[in-house]
Amino acid sequence: MSSRAAPLPEEGRLRSLVDFYGTQMRTSVVAQLQYRVANYFYMVGMVAEPVIYLVVWSTIARQHGGAINGITAGQFAAYYIVWTLVRNMNIVFGAPFWEWRIREGRLAGDLLRPLNILHYDLAYFAGWKFVVVAMWLPIAIALSAVFHPDLHPSALQIVVFIVAIWGAYLVRSMFQATIGMLNFWTTRGAAVFDLYMATEMLLSGRLVPLRLMPGWVQTLADFLPFKWTFGFPIESLVSDMSTRSLLLGLGAQVMWTAIGYVLFTFAWRAAIKRFSAVGA
Amino acid sequence: MNTLRVAWLYFKVGVMNELQYRVNFFVQLFQSLIQVGTGLVMLSLVYSHTTELNGWKESELLSLLGVQILLGGFIHTFIQPNMELLMQDVQQGTLDYALTKPEDAQILVSVRQVRIWQIVEVISGLVLLIVGLTGVETSIGVVDALVFAFALGIGGVLVYCFWLILTIGAFWVVRIEHVLELFEGVYQTGRWPVGVYPGWLRYSVTFLVPVAFAVTVPAEALTSRLHWPTLALSVGFGIVLFGFTRWFWRFGLRNYSGASA
Amino acid sequence: MPESVVHVNELTKIFKVPERDPGLRAAAKALVHRKTREVHAVEAISFDIEPGEVVGFLGPNGAGKTTTLKMLAGLLYPTSGEARVLGHVPSRREKDYLRRMTMVMGNRNQLQWDIPALDSFELYRAIYRLRREDYLAMRDELVELLDVGDLVRKPVRNLSLGERMKVEIVGSLLHRPQVLFLDEPTIGLDVTMQKRIRTFVAEYNKRHGATVLLTSHYMADVEALCKRVIVIHHGRILFDGALASLANEFAAYKTIGVLLENGNAELDGYGEVISRDGDRAILRVPKAETSRVAARLLSEHEVLDLTIEEPPIEDVIEMVFAQSR
Repeated sequence: MSSRAAPLPEEGRLRSLVDFYGTQMRTSVVAQLQYRVANYFYMVGMVAEPVIYLVVWSTIARQHGGAINGITAGQFAAYYIVWTLVRNMNIVFGAPFWEWRIREGRLAGDLLRPLNILHYDLAYFAGWKFVVVAMWLPIAIALSAVFHPDLHPSALQIVVFIVAIWGAYLVRSMFQATIGMLNFWTTRGAAVFDLYMATEMLLSGRLVPLRLMPGWVQTLADFLPFKWTFGFPIESLVSDMSTRSLLLGLGAQVMWTAIGYVLFTFAWRAAIKRFSAVGA
Repeated sequence: MNTLRVAWLYFKVGVMNELQYRVNFFVQLFQSLIQVGTGLVMLSLVYSHTTELNGWKESELLSLLGVQILLGGFIHTFIQPNMELLMQDVQQGTLDYALTKPEDAQILVSVRQVRIWQIVEVISGLVLLIVGLTGVETSIGVVDALVFAFALGIGGVLVYCFWLILTIGAFWVVRIEHVLELFEGVYQTGRWPVGVYPGWLRYSVTFLVPVAFAVTVPAEALTSRLHWPTLALSVGFGIVLFGFTRWFWRFGLRNYSGASA
Repeated sequence: MPESVVHVNELTKIFKVPERDPGLRAAAKALVHRKTREVHAVEAISFDIEPGEVVGFLGPNGAGKTTTLKMLAGLLYPTSGEARVLGHVPSRREKDYLRRMTMVMGNRNQLQWDIPALDSFELYRAIYRLRREDYLAMRDELVELLDVGDLVRKPVRNLSLGERMKVEIVGSLLHRPQVLFLDEPTIGLDVTMQKRIRTFVAEYNKRHGATVLLTSHYMADVEALCKRVIVIHHGRILFDGALASLANEFAAYKTIGVLLENGNAELDGYGEVISRDGDRAILRVPKAETSRVAARLLSEHEVLDLTIEEPPIEDVIEMVFAQSR
């Protein structure tokens, strides 16, 4: 056997992984900049939802002496404008994308390479986020001019916020990827996905700040991952949270990312078994 | 009229086609339930903090929600599928098939597709509307119901015109689909009384994207809020817009055929 | 004793395909009780492949070629039997195994669409954990061999089908795999491109001693590259051996093409007349008798032209399948 047939030497694992993320994030930025228009339209369309909530709650607040449960109209504005950034950050490779990936036959290619499948998506979307944030800034300025948000975060809050939006990204990636596994068994995964989205909407702080929800809902939200993808990042910047609760919140995000990852690994193993049994 | 008969035939074929996929009924039912559920949760949340919003009481707003979902279902069943197909035809150059048929092309491209199972959404909206109306204090007379139906019809026409105008835009701006994606988001404004929105937004959702005329006006008819001038404005706007749409369609077609020659 | 690169023993793959009658009642029943049909895609096949061999898998659609390759690549789990490649069990998809193999599927895109291929290659470099110098050496060698220097800077979506295929091949070989699974690599490409890729595979095999398993519809691929062929039909191996002896075993004949002065001559006594077109005729004659029949023809008739040919491989394969029914 010729010595030329020996395998090539390896670089270190961690170094290669960091290298991969760096390279992929750079290429996503380049790729997504080509789709500026599509990105912009999507972001503008997304703004309708929080603006509606903002307007409704501000109206009620004004009718009731300026605040509901201690939240003023200006604070609602702050909440929902920060909402738009958090929403953009937590858009991830979700269940519908998995359906596309399987249908288009791209999954086989990814399976043939020695890289955990999550890295592809996490890296690609992470790079995309930089384009998204840059495009979001003018929208945020416009919204602030119209709705006059009441926002005075401390330096610590800003730092925690920046970490928290990435935490939200990770938590949501893990759970959405897990749900995406359903697409290996059915083409109607969309129905379950809708249910997940509805639950998330109510329990994450997407619909309303969780403080406005009845007590039992708030307790429930504490034990589920949704709050850490939406409500917590927003509140970390917008409300007056103690240092302790800010740090505990970040810890919760780490915990939920780990839980989500474990769930995904189990679901992925089962999905691959099925994929490999039924055929590519 | 022959055109109407052809339209009816197209409709029948479209429905038969869709009826095969009975699983879609359950999927749609599930999705409608989720939609209704989240709407109700939001409503009850709002009314746990207040007794009226912009003068509207809970059951009145429930009726408004019902109208919004009902009309939304109508859009998803009849209007959207056709507009999406039309846009696809323009982008892929397959519009000629529709244009060479002897019947009026505008009617053809407006009725050829039906997503029949979205009817479930219409029904769920209707149910919400009726439930809401039972809680409304003032009783509804036959006149009110007729005015409601009439206003709803005008609303449907307005939304149809809006969609068609934008889709015709595809003749020139091929990637118009992004603009249409905005519609769903903006349509959600219809769930709340138009009065809550700041001025610029109010005008936008009245004249730019005719949500207010389509949803709020019919709901106002049933909750005894409708003023004759508003209805007249709605009708007038509908007539003008329909006329403009017709002209714009012809204009776009001439342009399109010229281009592909 | 050196172990073979690919070791397959009694490898079997059975698919359970759902079957449903049309109609509402059947649909409702299907929710409760799934009716499935078994498809035996691969039936207890066995073979060994030594390092550096280039083996062709021949067979009609649905024969089991691609299924076999996918099992060896780790994309499908075998129903029973054993498969080992480079000492690894493919279905375990160990990272060490994946770094040493590659699978190229014709007409499939694995590179990212919107960016130049060169950027996707950088991603592969990181995924396969290649050292920078090894990566550059390999990349430049492949780019030169396939002559894609100007193509790799263009976004992949701007390339034609053939160009895309070449660039995909570069991407799949950057890590210098020792085992190549090529599934219909030349499908849909024009003749020049097919030749290009064939030459390339042969060159790669020569330079790096890689083992190549190739499936193809095009006999030209197999003839150009493979000394050994495995013929598969209905999931079973019909023939495993040298391409040259395939003809001997299944089609021990030659064809004699003859152009006669007298177009009406009686030719049935010489051999099987395959075709007759005016003065031209083609005869099929048992191999052993070829020279005798040719001599007889030349002496007994006015022969203007005479050619003796091996049967075209397509015909041989057809005979293989015909015999297996």
